[in-house]
Amino acid sequence: MIAALALVAAVLVQVMLVNRLPLPMGAPDVVLLTVIGLALTRGPLAGAVMGFCGGLVADLIPPTAHVVGQYAFVYALIGFLAGRGIGGMVPTVIVCVLAAPPLAAAVGGLIGDPRVTLEAMAEVMPVTAAYTLLLAPVVVWLTTRGDRRYAS
Amino acid sequence: MRDTRRARLILGLLLTAALVILTIDHRTGQDSPLGPLRGMGAAVFGTAEQFGGAVGRPVASFFSAMAGAPGAQDRIKRLEEENARLRAGLSASALDRKRSQELRSMLGLSGLGGYTVVSANVVARRGHPGFEDAVEIDAGTDDGVRTDMTVLNGYGLIGRVVQAGTTTSTVVLLSDPASSAGARLEGGNEIGVVSGVGHGGKLVRFRLLDSTAPLAPGLRLVSFGSQKAAPYVSGVPIGVIERVEATPGELTRIAYARPFVDLTSLDVVGVVVKAPKRDPRDAVLPVLQGER
Repeated sequence: MIAALALVAAVLVQVMLVNRLPLPMGAPDVVLLTVIGLALTRGPLAGAVMGFCGGLVADLIPPTAHVVGQYAFVYALIGFLAGRGIGGMVPTVIVCVLAAPPLAAAVGGLIGDPRVTLEAMAEVMPVTAAYTLLLAPVVVWLTTRGDRRYAS
Repeated sequence: MRDTRRARLILGLLLTAALVILTIDHRTGQDSPLGPLRGMGAAVFGTAEQFGGAVGRPVASFFSAMAGAPGAQDRIKRLEEENARLRAGLSASALDRKRSQELRSMLGLSGLGGYTVVSANVVARRGHPGFEDAVEIDAGTDDGVRTDMTVLNGYGLIGRVVQAGTTTSTVVLLSDPASSAGARLEGGNEIGVVSGVGHGGKLVRFRLLDSTAPLAPGLRLVSFGSQKAAPYVSGVPIGVIERVEATPGELTRIAYARPFVDLTSLDVVGVVVKAPKRDPRDAVLPVLQGER
């Protein structure tokens, strides 16, 4: 329940606030961080399910101009990875943050999305990843902390 | 954490489900069976965004004021220059209007009204992460907004409506790489296609269809309009050409134009809900055999 609320809140914050801030070149991905944070303490199974649902919500919340299912796929995989863990919390978060944008691009490329070009990827991905990593400690701390407080 | 066989199985199922949804939505396009689901999402979350917009706007503008403070002097100077240029552009458009009025009266087409515009605020934006560039506005079918309507503001063309909910609708911006709009060079009748290249809408790509036509930085673009004014009405300013790419031996020429609208910070926009009563292009063109 808490996880579902956190995911919806994260998507709303992303489209209403974060994307409208005049940050140069990009913006952090709050939804991705929330999925990672929630999955970290709940294991691969819950992580994958939450990632899938969160991605579906992200696909449906307006404005959308992409195909439904794209972020459901990406976040399900990321949720699984984060829940499984790759040698400690910090490496897990970093790997997941770095893996998500190429994954989204790959899924977009799979259906021939004209927006996915090498140029666009080279331009957007490093900036987005940098912003996301900068914001990671805050969001991950918030989500894992909320989990401990309410779950126990 | 444990990585059980069950977890992997569920992951596989979820990924397959996502791919199936993706494929269905992609293959069916406009009449996707997921349309109602999308509409529901728009209804529920669009309303939330509408209420949240009042909160989000001051925060966003505060940050933009903070970020813009050092460059404010520069900005004022640039705005003054821009003002002068726009004034020049305005007189040019007055000339254009006069010319088109003459043309219209010449063709005996009277009673062509202007466009009716519904104003709206931007309540949410999509762009990062991902590759699309779209915004949500707080006007929907209740206000007369339908899909494939032109969206503009005081400076020029912004984009088109791709999905209209009851109180909110989704607008794909000019800077979205998947969008393209017909454009005409000022002064002549050379036409081309404007499409987005991402980068937050700093530049858009203009592909001139006639490779022999003159194309130089400083020329301005207006929308060429589509049949029945959907999705784009004609005559809306788009931008000014900034750099021309050398493409020797190609059939089209490519230039990059800076949009008149600052697509990175949109707030008040207008949706053209009513095009002129009669499409002048139909009246000008001779009726072809076998065409509707």
